[in-house]
Amino acid sequence: MTGTPGFTGRTLAVRCPAWDAAGTSAGWASDPERGPRARAFEPVVRAMQEFCPQVEVLRPGLAASEARGPARYFGGEAVLADKVAKAVARLGFACGIGVADGLFTALVAAQDSLAGGQGGRPGFPGAGPGPLGAGPGPLGTCSVIVPPGQAPAFLAPRPVAILGEPELAELLARLGVGTVGDLAALPAAEVEARFGLAGLRAHRLARGLDPRPLTPRPPAADLSVQAEFDPPAEQAEQVIFAAKSLASRMHARLAANGLACVRVRVEVILADGREVTRLWRHDGLLTDLAVADRVRWQLDGWLSGSRATGGPGGGPGGDGEAALGGVTLLRLVPGQLARERGRQLGLWGDEVVNGRVARAALRLQAMLGHGAVLRPVLIGGRGPADRVMLVPFGDEPEPAPPADRPWPGQIPPPAPATVYPEPRPARVTGRSGVLVTVTGRGQVSAEPAMLSVEGGPSRAITAWTGPWPVTERWWDPARACRKARFQLVTVDGDAWLAVVQDGRWLIEARYD
Amino acid sequence: MIAAGEWGLLCLALAAGAAAAGAWCAVAGIPEAGMVAAAGAGIDPDRLLLVPGLGGNWPHAVASLLDGVDLVLLRPPSAPSAQARRVLEAALRRHRAVLLVAGDWAGARVRLRVVTREWTGIGSGHGLLRACRIRVVADGRGEWSRPRARWLWLPGSDGEVASGEVASGGEIASRAIAAG
Repeated sequence: MTGTPGFTGRTLAVRCPAWDAAGTSAGWASDPERGPRARAFEPVVRAMQEFCPQVEVLRPGLAASEARGPARYFGGEAVLADKVAKAVARLGFACGIGVADGLFTALVAAQDSLAGGQGGRPGFPGAGPGPLGAGPGPLGTCSVIVPPGQAPAFLAPRPVAILGEPELAELLARLGVGTVGDLAALPAAEVEARFGLAGLRAHRLARGLDPRPLTPRPPAADLSVQAEFDPPAEQAEQVIFAAKSLASRMHARLAANGLACVRVRVEVILADGREVTRLWRHDGLLTDLAVADRVRWQLDGWLSGSRATGGPGGGPGGDGEAALGGVTLLRLVPGQLARERGRQLGLWGDEVVNGRVARAALRLQAMLGHGAVLRPVLIGGRGPADRVMLVPFGDEPEPAPPADRPWPGQIPPPAPATVYPEPRPARVTGRSGVLVTVTGRGQVSAEPAMLSVEGGPSRAITAWTGPWPVTERWWDPARACRKARFQLVTVDGDAWLAVVQDGRWLIEARYD
Repeated sequence: MIAAGEWGLLCLALAAGAAAAGAWCAVAGIPEAGMVAAAGAGIDPDRLLLVPGLGGNWPHAVASLLDGVDLVLLRPPSAPSAQARRVLEAALRRHRAVLLVAGDWAGARVRLRVVTREWTGIGSGHGLLRACRIRVVADGRGEWSRPRARWLWLPGSDGEVASGEVASGGEIASRAIAAG
């Protein structure tokens, strides 16, 4: 609708009347013009960019920037506004500068500062020119700074026409709602019911809010940040340094949107086209440095991985000094965005996962992949393999059947120390050498006498017990299974947990 | 540094004995480790990391793991080079961690292995595996140069390690750890 996303916090707006043919603040919503006039504004934008990294040109003659970061850096909004005003004035342009909550108020303040500089409209009482920008500056420039939270009061005495809806303004004026303050005093629901979306938008502006409420989950791509390296960065340190400022930008963007990310994806693209991508847990807890750390670990991990595949002689202790073969692009993509609710506790609480463990686990995840470091969660189930859910470190376990319910047919303790991730095929034969089977009524066809695991040598079975029939999920044809379990002890003292399913024997676990 | 012959419940019991309350353990290179058994042996699954595959440069991965956890139960994917062994042993000293190797380790102070297993509670077509009496032989260097053998109940009928003779399993474990 407006083409101006972002800028929800403190905003600095610069208005140069030289381009301001229309001269109404309604013009800020129109599309930026193209062509020579627009290019003539370019030096002004460059001058602003000396102080504000992210300048958005709303249209020629009108630019805005996020003010919080630069103001903190330069020691205050008034100082920042003064510096920008002087830089623009050096180019020979008059400009008005406003700093306020939100873009709309900042633009009105900038308009005010122009008028104030020319001795026109008296300024807002609480918002006079900043201490350093006091009085008309060079070429009649001064800034108007609306303190945080004062936007509604600043806007209240103005005519509704400044809200940029001419038809609505005319109607409101005829209804006796003459000023922005009058409109803001009306209940939002009533305004929407009577005047529709245009009314609601004007009402939000009148209350000093953004013209539309924030979408809680904007597309992640909008919040990703990246740095290109030309020529490609040869040293890991260079990439890590860039990562820190990237992370700071990403956090600022997230914060500006009131969001926290659960994960951040770090993408590193190398000069030869290879891509090294890892997802890192974030939980809204990482500092800029911590994100840079993760980039370092990722590069380290990748380096040591490539050394390991290159030759087994590569010793441990990878350092960032090794050549990367050139990094051309580093991109941070925040993922799984959620509303920021202050500091969120880690999943397991800080007292369980301490920083030392988390660092080691994350380091290993950088080396081996996110799924290589797991945490076991004991859940309900019958077979030994069913009773454990493995969750990658940092992920939340999925809801699972609880362990503390009775599971009829569960293997009684002791639990086997070895549970094969894939059951091993086996052959259990009776004394006659015929494969032992289990009937539908739970009867064995012969006493198990010999066991051979994965075609290995046959061992005599000295003791056995079973079958314990298990019919799981009979209500669900796709997942239903019927099997029978046995415990077998072979002559060498090994004890096995075996299962017969569809006439095949499998070894699920070994007691050792 | 303890070498415990091969993977089994003995490793888990030793790990549980060595890991004090609140200590973090890691099981590395043993994808088939039974977690229910680990919990039964007394290892807190909330303080356990599993690294089933260690990748090509496994000594590096294990050294990183030793940075974070107090005890690593490791089955080396391949025999470590002398240099890798030195690196890991240095990491152990630096972090005061314990490395429990399910396998052989050249230069280990103590080596434990199970020589005999006798299961009870199970018959021919009836009963249940209930307990196992194992004979553990410990040897190694220094004070352990003379091999010693003990009978242990592992698992015991109540799931605990119990002495099948004179010395208790916990005693063996703690003495082994003190030595290693």
